[in-house]
Amino acid sequence: MSSEYILEMEHITKMYGPNAVLKDVSLRIRPGEIHALLGENGAGKSTLMNVLFGMPVIHSTGGFEGTVSLNGEKAEILSPMDAMAKGIGMVHQEFMLIPGFSITDNIKLNREITRPWPISKLFGSNLEFLDQKSMASDARNALDAVGMSIDEYALVAGLPVGHMQFIEIAREIDKTGMRVLVFDEPTAVLTESEAAQLLSVMRQIAAKGIAIIFITHRLDEVMAAADTITILRDGKLVDTLKTADTNVGELAGMMIGRGDESVIQVERRGTPVQGGTAMTIRNLWVDMPGETDKGVSIDVREGEILGIGGLAGQGKIGIPNGIMGLYEALGEVTLFGQPLPLNDARGALQRGLAFVSEDRRGVGLLLDESIEDNIAFSAMQAHGQFMKGPLKDSGKIRRYAQDMIKELDIRCTSAAQPVGTLSGGNQQKVCVARALALNPKFLFIAEPTRGIDIGAKQLVLETLVRLNREQGMTIVMVSSELQELRSICDRIAIVAEGKVADILPPEASDTAFGLAMSGYRAQGGDGQ
Amino acid sequence: MTAIDKKERRRLLSGKQYVGAAIAALAAVLLVAAIVGYAIRETGTVSGSLKNMRSDAVVHIASEGIVDKIARDAKAARLKELRANGYNGRKFREIGLSEVEALTGEAEAQARAEAEALYSSPVVSDPAALERAVAALEERLAAYGQLRASERQAFSGLYVSLVDGTASWTDLTDAAGEDDEALFKALCAVEPRLAQESNAHLKPAFIKLARDMAETERARRARELETQLIQQVTGGVSDWAELASLKDNELWDALCREVPALQDNPTAKDAVMAQAKANIQTAQAGGEVTVQDSAATEGNTPVSETQANYKYFAPSEQLARLESDKDEAHTALWEQLTGIIPSLSGIQSKDKSGILENVDQLLWPGELSFSSRFQSYSGQVGAKDAGFATRLAGNAENLLLLGIALALLAVILIWWETLTRRFGVPRVIILLFFLYLILAAQYYNISIPLMMGNVLERMVMYGILALAMMPGIQCGIGLNMGMTIGCIAGLMGVVLSLQFDMTGPAGLTFACISGAMIALPLGWAYSILLNRMKGNEMTISTYVGFSFVSLMCIAWMMLPFTNPKIIWLLSGQGLRVTHSLLGSYGHLLDKFLSFEVGGMTIPTGGLLFLGLCCLMMWLFSRTKVGIAMTAAGSNPRFAEASGINVNRMRSLGTILSTVFAAIGIVIYSQSFGYAQLYTAPRQLGFIAASAILIGGASVRKARVAHVLLGVFLFEGVLVFGQQIANSAVAGGGLSEVMRIMISNGIILYALTQTGGGRRE
Repeated sequence: MSSEYILEMEHITKMYGPNAVLKDVSLRIRPGEIHALLGENGAGKSTLMNVLFGMPVIHSTGGFEGTVSLNGEKAEILSPMDAMAKGIGMVHQEFMLIPGFSITDNIKLNREITRPWPISKLFGSNLEFLDQKSMASDARNALDAVGMSIDEYALVAGLPVGHMQFIEIAREIDKTGMRVLVFDEPTAVLTESEAAQLLSVMRQIAAKGIAIIFITHRLDEVMAAADTITILRDGKLVDTLKTADTNVGELAGMMIGRGDESVIQVERRGTPVQGGTAMTIRNLWVDMPGETDKGVSIDVREGEILGIGGLAGQGKIGIPNGIMGLYEALGEVTLFGQPLPLNDARGALQRGLAFVSEDRRGVGLLLDESIEDNIAFSAMQAHGQFMKGPLKDSGKIRRYAQDMIKELDIRCTSAAQPVGTLSGGNQQKVCVARALALNPKFLFIAEPTRGIDIGAKQLVLETLVRLNREQGMTIVMVSSELQELRSICDRIAIVAEGKVADILPPEASDTAFGLAMSGYRAQGGDGQ
Repeated sequence: MTAIDKKERRRLLSGKQYVGAAIAALAAVLLVAAIVGYAIRETGTVSGSLKNMRSDAVVHIASEGIVDKIARDAKAARLKELRANGYNGRKFREIGLSEVEALTGEAEAQARAEAEALYSSPVVSDPAALERAVAALEERLAAYGQLRASERQAFSGLYVSLVDGTASWTDLTDAAGEDDEALFKALCAVEPRLAQESNAHLKPAFIKLARDMAETERARRARELETQLIQQVTGGVSDWAELASLKDNELWDALCREVPALQDNPTAKDAVMAQAKANIQTAQAGGEVTVQDSAATEGNTPVSETQANYKYFAPSEQLARLESDKDEAHTALWEQLTGIIPSLSGIQSKDKSGILENVDQLLWPGELSFSSRFQSYSGQVGAKDAGFATRLAGNAENLLLLGIALALLAVILIWWETLTRRFGVPRVIILLFFLYLILAAQYYNISIPLMMGNVLERMVMYGILALAMMPGIQCGIGLNMGMTIGCIAGLMGVVLSLQFDMTGPAGLTFACISGAMIALPLGWAYSILLNRMKGNEMTISTYVGFSFVSLMCIAWMMLPFTNPKIIWLLSGQGLRVTHSLLGSYGHLLDKFLSFEVGGMTIPTGGLLFLGLCCLMMWLFSRTKVGIAMTAAGSNPRFAEASGINVNRMRSLGTILSTVFAAIGIVIYSQSFGYAQLYTAPRQLGFIAASAILIGGASVRKARVAHVLLGVFLFEGVLVFGQQIANSAVAGGGLSEVMRIMISNGIILYALTQTGGGRRE
């Protein structure tokens, strides 16, 4: 062993066009160490791993700066196959298993043990026989190593997700020469006991001298399993420290902390909002793929801007989508004292709700249609506005659209321009205009600033504040950008694992937010 | 996109424009040459030169005629000589035909060479007199030819409308009996124009036509009856071998017992008996006696446009007078020609009329333009002596066409980026193709207004069918290949109207409404199927369309229709394949308010109806429901978020598409003049789909304008392409191949666009 570290990534900088996603990040890992990689969504964890695996997306966008060394020797990793050959493996977040094959087949896929026979000697090794017995015994060993007693001949199809996760791990440790193994959010789909088992398996693997990179956002698991922790934020390295030298609070603060990089400056309300209750949500379950809610309860006060934050996949997006009837939902919701029927999109719109979807191009817009038709559409369908007799009133729509274009500063050639040709920010403004055309009393807006430039960001946020202050519109804003929530919201609810983890004032500390996002509940914060 | 890409692009772009500019310059040169060519046509030099060419050509024909005659005579003489020398038929067979050819050909060639040396450059002593005689003949030929053409055209119009308008000739002649006057009155009732004074000379011809047609019809019926009787007899007897011992009379009686209808039709006795004996022999020999399926031959005769039979044409008095004028001019010219080539006076009248016919053909080929004269004269005497100016004048048309074609190409090349961005690549190519076809039609002397009239007629035929694609595309099921379901519903409406003997506007309206009514539940059921197969609609709809046609092939045989006009004659059940609508409401809409502009027939009624349907569709797409439907199609999740029931909207679009298809096929049938059942509607979906796609629709977005433009371009390319392919290449198969290539190619293109249509 020529070096203390088995893997060294030094001064990695990666640009996507003009945007730097990684800025001078370094990562050093010793053999047999469990190294946790912490960070919010978009902090640069995935990009760093893509660099490590030599993914085509890195090479096709101009490569990266910095060096990667294995065992102290500089290494050029050209492709995922190359990475595998150099002893770097990954346990994927999404399972890469073939359901119709047996566990053994999946574990030994593309690394089969074969026996030659005359034909194969003539026509090449592709025609060799599989040595099922030795393959099965290898698979057995690997399964035993991860603590699974399941029959190695069983088919993968129909197994519980927890089992699949362990089979993935078994496949990785079956590979010979494995030096670094990456676990990408391995516990996300596991039950608590399974997660605990996984952590112990990780420790066993590490004990064999394999280095483990553990990507997660669960701080308790990090504290329990990791030896060393590297924290990324906004593509920059925050710190690398020993687990023994830190605590959950400090980690949470490091993950979140943004100083004073406020997007906009909004004058704070002198007195807190004291209105009645606009909406009560009790025990809301929403079946939205990737954003499942499992019993959300929260009250929204009349006239406030309520922020909903949390990490991706935790269920914050599911709340507005469930209430607006876009995904199957279960629970009790009342709006201004009246019960709101769930799973009824039209009913929700007609009762004065409006929703600006996070999926702008998928749900929010008709990309081929004009700006004016997009703006008028929902109001026309829900309230029968913009109609002249049975036909649409083009003149009225045009006038309204032009007002909106002026008011929201939508940059376009005319109101008849197809929205598909607008920039992201202007598309978002069209979405907002469409929601406003409904004259809503209550506005849901999800990820309003995702993928739009800074100028449009400010304008959208200022518009929300103005609507709230001038018209008293109750606004619930769902966003992954904590900074943005903190700059305009009166209260911020943090959702973790499909439930409201905490409701915090915008001035609360980074640590408090970080803990809430990681599923830690602050004292007394029971969601009310 | 990086900077290098942009630079690369600019370089390519300018390269394309560079080529375009070069072509434009060439086109300009050609156009100028063409204009000069036109301008100098009237100058003395050129027109004099052309007249000289004409005289030379006439003399050339005459000399060629006499050379031919001499060569022929020499060949005949040689043959005679051979015979005299003992070459009889057997001898000829022994030495073989080619040897005989060689023997006689030698003499023929020798004689020809000698004659050519003698006659090929005859001396014209008085060119002015010859010129006068030729000019006089040309003038009279033109007068005669024009009148004859117009009379024949008038005759053709009368003939077609009479034949199309008469449902049964036998009824007509039977009612009139032997009385010609009564028969003519009945004919005039069918076609009132017959009674006009100017058509009096055609009266005997049309009376004869009616009697002949009745005779043909009777014979055909007798034949059909015979065939069916034979079928019934063959199928009715279970054991033919049993009948072997019977004598003829006993056999006939036995057969009559089996098939009582035989007794009423003694005329078929011979044929039936012959078949019966054949069957008995087959049975005795151990073979199996099977009913030969004549169903395919009986009703499946291909439907074609009625063509006038000029056998019945009779000239008017004026035409006869012009003909005698023409003959006078012939005599005068012949005198001149014999003056130049004295040997002409000695030839037989058969050869003389042959020569004169060739001269007629040269002088009056049906129309006279400078370039066609130039072409035909130089075909006789060559263009070498004509001089550059005359040749330029003679080829002005071709230069002009070539110049325009190049100019179009240059325009497209120079503004390629702009055009393709605005209209899309396929539209630009099809449009260019269409324009080239029009130029080619001009080149082949195909009447463009006539063709345009055809295009309009076919627009009426296919317009509503293409329109039926639109709600399907808008509601999100894509190209509704299953519109054949609607077509079958519409055909059901047509057949119902025929069952109840409905004619005229009432019949058409009834067919449309009942077809639409039948289409409603079918479309609804079909939409439920499609709603369960989201994402695979195109595959499903194609299969459903095909299999429903097949299913209906069985149903058409089983449905309890009873009107003898529409069912198989003797079996008494099952609908025939082709039903003529000419006696009920064929061409009704097309003829309504129809008029002619410069040789182009405008099917006003049909166009108005198509316009009405398009207007309704356009208005619908501006209603709240229509807008919701379009949104549900283009982005279902968006629509759901706005509280729209996407499935209901898809059903609505599917039903609308099916109903429009039903109305479309009724209009199609009335335009066609026939309703065709069984497998006939199978391909309609493909035609409609390619039409709307050519017009600019995608599988996710369609407008009324796409329908109209698409049908016009598609049918235009087909109509012109067909004519030009027929003119350019012998054999008629090419146009059908082209239709299939164009329509399927366009569909393929549109399908490749579905994946790439997303904006990134």
